[in-house]
Amino acid sequence: MENGALSEELIQTDVLCIGGGIAGLMAAIRAGELGAKVVVAEKGNTLHSGRGRAGNDHFWCYIPEVHGADMELFLKDCLKGPKLKLMQAGTSMSVLRTFLEKSFDIVKLWDSWGIPMKYQGRWEFAGHSFHGDVLTHLKYEGLKQKTVLTERAMEKKVEIMNRVMIFDLLRNKDGVIGAIGIHTREDKIIVLQAKAVILGTGFVDRLYPPSVPGWLASVAGSLTLTGDGRAMTYRAGAELVGPEIPRRHVGPRYFARYGQATWVGVLRDTHGKPIGPYVTKPDKRYGDMTPEVKGVLLEDYMKSGKGPAYMDCRGISDEDYEYMMHWLVHEGNSSLIDHMKEEGIDLRKNPVEFGTYQMVPEGKIWINEKAETSIKGLYAAGDESMGGIGPSASYGWIAGESAATYAKEAPAPKIEKTRAEIEERKNLVGEMRTRKQGPDWKEANIALQQIMQDYAGPVRSEVLLEAGLSYVQRLKKKVATTMVAQNQWELTRCLETLNLLDLGELVFIAANERKETRGLHNRPDYPLTDPMLEGKGLFVKQVRGEPVLEWRKIA
Amino acid sequence: MPPIIDPTKCTGCGVCVDVCSEDVFFGSKKGKVPVVTYPEFCVHFNCCAYECPEEGAIKVRIPLPLQLLYKGGDR
Ligand SMILES: Cc1cc2nc3c(=O)[nH]c(=O)nc-3n(C[C@H](O)[C@H](O)[C@H](O)COP(=O)(O)OP(=O)(O)OC[C@H]3O[C@@H](n4cnc5c(N)ncnc54)[C@H](O)[C@@H]3O)c2cc1C
Ligand code: SF4
Ligand code: SF4
Repeated sequence: MENGALSEELIQTDVLCIGGGIAGLMAAIRAGELGAKVVVAEKGNTLHSGRGRAGNDHFWCYIPEVHGADMELFLKDCLKGPKLKLMQAGTSMSVLRTFLEKSFDIVKLWDSWGIPMKYQGRWEFAGHSFHGDVLTHLKYEGLKQKTVLTERAMEKKVEIMNRVMIFDLLRNKDGVIGAIGIHTREDKIIVLQAKAVILGTGFVDRLYPPSVPGWLASVAGSLTLTGDGRAMTYRAGAELVGPEIPRRHVGPRYFARYGQATWVGVLRDTHGKPIGPYVTKPDKRYGDMTPEVKGVLLEDYMKSGKGPAYMDCRGISDEDYEYMMHWLVHEGNSSLIDHMKEEGIDLRKNPVEFGTYQMVPEGKIWINEKAETSIKGLYAAGDESMGGIGPSASYGWIAGESAATYAKEAPAPKIEKTRAEIEERKNLVGEMRTRKQGPDWKEANIALQQIMQDYAGPVRSEVLLEAGLSYVQRLKKKVATTMVAQNQWELTRCLETLNLLDLGELVFIAANERKETRGLHNRPDYPLTDPMLEGKGLFVKQVRGEPVLEWRKIA
Repeated sequence: MPPIIDPTKCTGCGVCVDVCSEDVFFGSKKGKVPVVTYPEFCVHFNCCAYECPEEGAIKVRIPLPLQLLYKGGDR
């Protein structure tokens, strides 16, 4: 590219959905249906992007005919489960209730659109639950979900712009009026003017070192999910909650995959002894909940020399084996099955080693029950505000509805007034594309990952966190003026890495403020869990360039 | 390294290039066998293989460091 000259394209719309994942597409469909002009800007291809790209199989929902008429009781039961409790930390009870109330409608909609939500003609619930406890997750066949949702969006006249990565929101003093992005293949800047913006950019997958050291794409989710929405939202001045809370998932060691609850087996140590108390033989209804209670146990086994832990499906009935293999395909695990076939691995005979994956920060964009963020005209849904497929689908729908309604009344935005901001960002990307020498995104990303792991990883303390923060800040400064992108693919990775640097900094700042030990937030300098922080969240927003922290009750 | 394309079966239709969200095939030209520009950024969800219209033209190879660790069937 010559002289850093990226051409500029302006697009105008009522509603802009950033990210065409589960939440983004659901939002787009709903907003389109309500008559809004809708654009989806998606950095990959909506047919196979995001964490739902190759299917999911567990849909958290409330079906009265299955769970009984008392939704409050069901909700209470759900939050007993350690996974849902952690996943929904930082979500208000009113948002949870609104989601559950909506969820069955969405299940029926999906079923009518051709995403099979019934198994052998019935609502089938399994996994993510203890014996004797309420079953929370509906089994569904998600393999083709992205195709169905994409087609549905197109039917509603939604314009899908694939290969567009949005990297900043544009706002005036009242609220958000658009966003700026790059084309990930062509030398182009895209400016989008919108009356309302919905964020659905998903997870943060590249902040901590992944399962295979030095192999950045060995993540269970996606290489391209880098918390862009959270970072943009923070920079635009909206509130995030809980960036300091870590989560760790469990699955096949090194071949990182989600779907732990789809496995029908028992986690055993190398001598065949179950490592948890919940199951002693494979049971298709109730998988082994041990990793949901304490995923890091598997890592502890390795560290203490107890040795590896195995997912042991031996003794499984033929029927349950077929059941598991069927659902593993819908859960996006077909490549794992192909690999087992090729290697002659038979789960009926061969226990497969499981491991604890890298940390991911739980931090979310704070929303209310209408999916509104703390900035006018800006909405969020999905993993970046409320994790899992059921919540993503349901809240995407709600966000689409709220945004379309708002856009009807909102004044036409004047994007040209943000010209200075647009030019500033054009310069930033132009410089990265024209620099001849310097670190690439990978160098920057790995440098960040190692600081995250060693200074805000499994052990955190004031001295570690303060040192780590200063290292990340120094790195950020250096990267901002030296990083090089040879082409638009690399530029996309560079912009993602800049977002990760912002989010990494927030992890340090918030982790230092949480002066207690809670779950995986392990502070040897504050070893007790502070009862006064029960039910509270740590909110963070940027005011005049500085992070401002506040503890608030999450009701 | 993943993914692997069999040039005798591939028609260069570009469908895999189109659907790969990691854009592992960045820079590929329609009508030609795709180039695997960023093989180490493949996340192995088989999406290219799902969409490829030619049986057996593309498959995803799992690199050595990611391969499953398992026990023999003996107890
Ligand atoms: C293999 C696997 C199995 C899973 N199984 C289950 C399950 O059974 N049950 C369950 O509840 N959950 C499951 N999950 C999690 C579930 O998939 C997610 O919760 C869900 O997909 C989140 O939806 P989302 O719309 O928030 O994000 P995603 O579906 O991840 O979509 C985010 C989208 O935003 C795009 N994007 C990101 N940044 C930008 C940007 N800057 N500009 C433009 N576009 C951008 C991405 O490309 C992507 O398309 C699973 C995850 C995986 C990986
Ligand atoms: S498996 Fe997925 S990431 Fe790998 S090349 Fe195919 S579509 Fe791309
Ligand atoms: S989709 Fe199949 S046939 Fe088409 S270019 Fe890719 S490998 Fe070749």
